[in-house]
Amino acid sequence: MAAKKAARKSLSLAPVLDLNEANALHGKLMALRGNPLAIDASAVERVGALCVQVLMAGAKSWEEDNQSFTFAKVSDAFTKTTQLIGVNIDHLMAKEI
Amino acid sequence: MDMNEIKEIFFQECEEQLAELESGLLRLNDGDRDPETVNAVFRAVHSIKGGAGAFGLDDLVSFAHVFETTLDCVRSNKLEPSQDVLKVMLKSADVLADLTNVARDGGSVDQARSAQLIRELEALAKGEAPPAAAPVAAAPKAAPVAAAPAPVVSDDGFVPVAFSFDDFGDDDLSADLPSYDVVFKPKSELYTKGNEATLLLRDLSRLGEMSIHCNMDSLPSLDQMDPEAAYFSWKVSIKTDKGEDAVRSVFEFAEWDCDLEVTALETGDVAEAVADDLPMQPVPFDLSALDDEPDAPLGVVEEEEQIAAVQQAVAAAEAASNVVQMAASASRAVASDKGAAAAAAQNNAQQASAAAPTIRVDLDRVDRLINLVGELVINQAMLSQSVIENDSNGVSSINMGLEELQQLTREIQDSVMAIRAQPVKPVFQRMARTVREIADITGKSVRLVTEGENTEVDKTVIDKLAEPLTHMIRNAVDHGLEMPEKRIAAGKNAEGTVKLTAKHRSGRIVIELSDDGAGINREKVRQKAIDNDLIAADANLSDEEIDNLIFHAGFSTADKVSDLSGRGVGMDVVKRSIQALGGRINISSKPGHGSVFTMSLPLTLAVLDGMVVTVAGQTLVVPLTAIVETLQPDAAAIHSFGATQRLISIRNSFCPLVDVGRILNFRATQANPVEGVALLVESEGGGQRALMVDAIQGQRQVVIKSLEANYTHVPGIAAATILGDGRVALILDVDAVVSASRGQSLHTETSLAAAG
Repeated sequence: MAAKKAARKSLSLAPVLDLNEANALHGKLMALRGNPLAIDASAVERVGALCVQVLMAGAKSWEEDNQSFTFAKVSDAFTKTTQLIGVNIDHLMAKEI
Repeated sequence: MDMNEIKEIFFQECEEQLAELESGLLRLNDGDRDPETVNAVFRAVHSIKGGAGAFGLDDLVSFAHVFETTLDCVRSNKLEPSQDVLKVMLKSADVLADLTNVARDGGSVDQARSAQLIRELEALAKGEAPPAAAPVAAAPKAAPVAAAPAPVVSDDGFVPVAFSFDDFGDDDLSADLPSYDVVFKPKSELYTKGNEATLLLRDLSRLGEMSIHCNMDSLPSLDQMDPEAAYFSWKVSIKTDKGEDAVRSVFEFAEWDCDLEVTALETGDVAEAVADDLPMQPVPFDLSALDDEPDAPLGVVEEEEQIAAVQQAVAAAEAASNVVQMAASASRAVASDKGAAAAAAQNNAQQASAAAPTIRVDLDRVDRLINLVGELVINQAMLSQSVIENDSNGVSSINMGLEELQQLTREIQDSVMAIRAQPVKPVFQRMARTVREIADITGKSVRLVTEGENTEVDKTVIDKLAEPLTHMIRNAVDHGLEMPEKRIAAGKNAEGTVKLTAKHRSGRIVIELSDDGAGINREKVRQKAIDNDLIAADANLSDEEIDNLIFHAGFSTADKVSDLSGRGVGMDVVKRSIQALGGRINISSKPGHGSVFTMSLPLTLAVLDGMVVTVAGQTLVVPLTAIVETLQPDAAAIHSFGATQRLISIRNSFCPLVDVGRILNFRATQANPVEGVALLVESEGGGQRALMVDAIQGQRQVVIKSLEANYTHVPGIAAATILGDGRVALILDVDAVVSASRGQSLHTETSLAAAG
């Protein structure tokens, strides 16, 4: 367990996750592939459907790899947007320790 | 980019859409039933409406909306695009164009006319036109609006994209709100055009209570996905009292980039439908967090949010705007730099329309120009190098450099001219409207055939071409074509044909307007000319000369003065405007078969090819287009005629000799023809004259500088130019000089006055 925890990577999302950011985000996620990942979405102010797509594809791939993929912290805007577009991230939310 | 610029782009787009609309409708009129044509027409109106909505142009929006509703009926095959239907549509296209112009330039439109058309369009949409009465009810699937219980708003046809529907449906509030199923599947283009699915869904959620299910089935794994492609699709169930149109209007600007299905549910079905789709998440109505975004501390975000909103709003315009902007700004940049000649011409264009005119230019052309300017810089460096190294290399390398420079200059000039060149299509399309309107008023059936719409000519020429062409088209329809009964009696098709052709011919543009009407009634013209004291009663005139009489001021053959034409200000004004453009106009007519008007215009007004000549020590430029041939007169060929007139015999025909130096008062005595050179020129009316000059210096391309703008008008002189040695040379107004030689004084109009 300890070893696994040590390998855990975290990724802070940019405030604006729009069309321009989708590619960058995709690249960042690809680079982190194979490690458990905690995403910090607390700075997010605006998020577009494309970036949500990338994040969800990431969650799917992480699941396939049997690695954990969680949202450690999320901003209000992030939650509201995902709710709005019907993307459920509840199961990806980090459980309070 | 501020709002005004976006608006300007919108209006430019509008012009294109209107052109598209009109040509689409005309194709339909010709029997084209290709669904793509109908779609193109629909799209055009739709885009105009979309853009207009974004700028709050309510008049435009409401009219476009009604128009669109009717077009939608055609699109869904509920309405057969018969001739009658298309007549209304073409008129509507005209009103739409008027409304667009009013929105841009101010002014007012004929309210009664547009109200009348709105009624006609609505009647058509409701299937009141004879051919389409039943199908509306028979196709409830295609017209879900009809099936929706409460929100029949769209049937009124008056619902603009503006989001105030408060007036409607109030009385239905007590009942269960109608519910709609929306299936929204964005295509990747939606995102690449800067639209955002989340924003669309947010707008949708504001309409009412909404449940949503996001379909992620097509989402591939991370390594296989394209981050900018669309994978998500949504199924939304929304309860709203605002009607299906409101739901659809949310997706207004994204409609072409997504698959969208909106289905109205019977109120009873709602619970069931929602229950069917368990995974749907109800969306909280409180979206304050999203709304608050603009207030976020980061100013950038706020701005971006606004930009995003604007982008969404002008999505229709946005699609092309990247390229367009680049082209437009590049052309503007180039336009401001391209020197006096074009600037002068642009001044002219500015006179023509109050708003600063812009043109849209192919990026290729700008690139070519930029490339050439690069070459010019290199050439300049090489040349100055050669001058510095003059001693060692001698003159030859300088000469070589100069030759290259000359070639470059010519190419750059051509490129700059190409930037100003625009196809004549817009003007021709305006004529289609003129024909329709006049045909309507006169009760004639007319068909306008255009050819060579893509022929390009300088923008200034295009701007000034519309008015004379309108005059001539009016004349052709009003006077030229006969009434249908008469045509049938003459064994012709009841529908008259007016043909408008443009083509390039030896460095000029030739525009031909022909009709298959009765042709010019020479007897009548002659009689009229005698009555009006234009010619002597016993004058012996050739057919051609009689035909040309109609260009005389104060001449009209119409028996009675109509609203359209026949006030006698027609053809002479036409002739004058064509001449002001440096052009010529000719007429040929065949009784019973119609008339052909041929206009030949220079491609550009900024530069002309000229023959540089010397007259009494002065240097003059004679436009090359006017010169037929040059010759060295023999003493034997010169014949005196009367007191002062002289004739020259050329190949057994006599031609009046015009002493240019005498007419311009360069010298007091007559020159000796044998010592000079005669330039045979074609003057107005087709007659030839021999202009006498002392010597020919050569042939050169000259840049036209306006005399009026820099000095004052000089009779007999059209404009001036600057020669290689820095001296000013005057450009001869051939027609003015020729008519002066007939004993009339030099009159004030000049053939190149418009050149700036």
